Amino acid sequence: MKDKPWYPVLYMFIVTAAFSSVVIGVGAVTHDRVLANERLAFEKSVVYALALAPGRRLGNSEIHEMFARRVKEPTNATAGAYYIEEGGQIAAYAIPIEGRGFWDQIKGVVGVGADMRTVTGIYFYQQHETPGLGAEITRHEFRDQFTGLRLSTIGKAVNIRRPGTTLGPGEVHAVTGATQTSTRLELLMNEDLEDWQQRMGVRGGEQ
Amino acid sequence: MSPRTKQNRSMKLIQDGLWRNNPIFVQVLGICSTLAVTNLVLNTVVMCVALVWTVAMSSLTVSLLRNYTPRNVRMMVETLIIAFYVILVDQGLKAYWPEMSENLGAYVGLIITNCIVMGRTEAYGMNNPPAGAFIDGAFNALGYSFVLLIIAIVREALGMGTLLGYQLPFFSSQYWDKWIIMVMPPGAFFMLAMVTWMFKSMQIRLGSQGVKK
Repeated sequence: MKDKPWYPVLYMFIVTAAFSSVVIGVGAVTHDRVLANERLAFEKSVVYALALAPGRRLGNSEIHEMFARRVKEPTNATAGAYYIEEGGQIAAYAIPIEGRGFWDQIKGVVGVGADMRTVTGIYFYQQHETPGLGAEITRHEFRDQFTGLRLSTIGKAVNIRRPGTTLGPGEVHAVTGATQTSTRLELLMNEDLEDWQQRMGVRGGEQ
Repeated sequence: MSPRTKQNRSMKLIQDGLWRNNPIFVQVLGICSTLAVTNLVLNTVVMCVALVWTVAMSSLTVSLLRNYTPRNVRMMVETLIIAFYVILVDQGLKAYWPEMSENLGAYVGLIITNCIVMGRTEAYGMNNPPAGAFIDGAFNALGYSFVLLIIAIVREALGMGTLLGYQLPFFSSQYWDKWIIMVMPPGAFFMLAMVTWMFKSMQIRLGSQGVKK
């Protein structure tokens, strides 16, 4: 049978069908879990960017519960930013940012206080930068620099400067050896933050 | 075949994979991933585990199907089987270890194109019984893994001052100026060349390629 001309075609068809069905089956079984993981990664970014539990590492269910309880969906009035309320007043905004990094999309969340100027935190939930270099933007050593930073409303909202330079207001140090990632990150952050400031009507205000 | 010769044959496969015919410093295969994933030890470990699984299981499966697979479509079948196991790893990581899936990014998918996998299924799995194919695959992948780990440990220590993310005493102190180049692609070339040089010299010095025939 093996030397019949149709045998390789039939064989290939059967083998492909068999292996593909297993892959499709596993895909279907894990589908919900994968979606939940993606959703959770975003919720985690918002919770950490807003510093809802400062200094604590949260479990997955805690994060999800905290997000569901405290964080409100974006409205027109917040120009696409998620927000939290305290005593009926908006206490902080979580602004989703995204854009091209050095290798691939970088997605994250920037938290700012009620004054729309003071950063409460920053967190990334998707990036494929070089491990050990650009990917260091996800480490707290880099991200902590943003906490308490005042966004500028004139010119660049944030400035990522070369390591070792003296910093002025609204400036942080880049990751050593990751010039490309830092340049792109500054660009994508400013694009989204400045756009948000514009829509919230705080762009070009007093420094 | 007597149990004695069977055991000898397995022993030979193990020695070949780990040392005499090591995929990295003798066959010089799978260099692309060696360069790409070795700047952090944790990423390397996960990559190696994924590779051991893929090579061993692919070789086994190819060997099981070898009497039914027509010669002229064998490469297609091999690629299909390899892709199958790699996709399972990828799906598993996405579902149960999303952070690692993020870290490794495209590299998991690229195991499909890793020359070691295709090389072992084609050179051994296609023509030999399943048990041997499994051992051959697993130990070739382990031979690849131990070289990768050596490279990764040196790169992470010199370049970042850490091991598995934990600060090392001397390398993370102010007395050590981190060699950033070690975690960048050129660092992998330096290390790979040095490790290959070192092991090849050892093989030559030990004579009869290091292990009794």
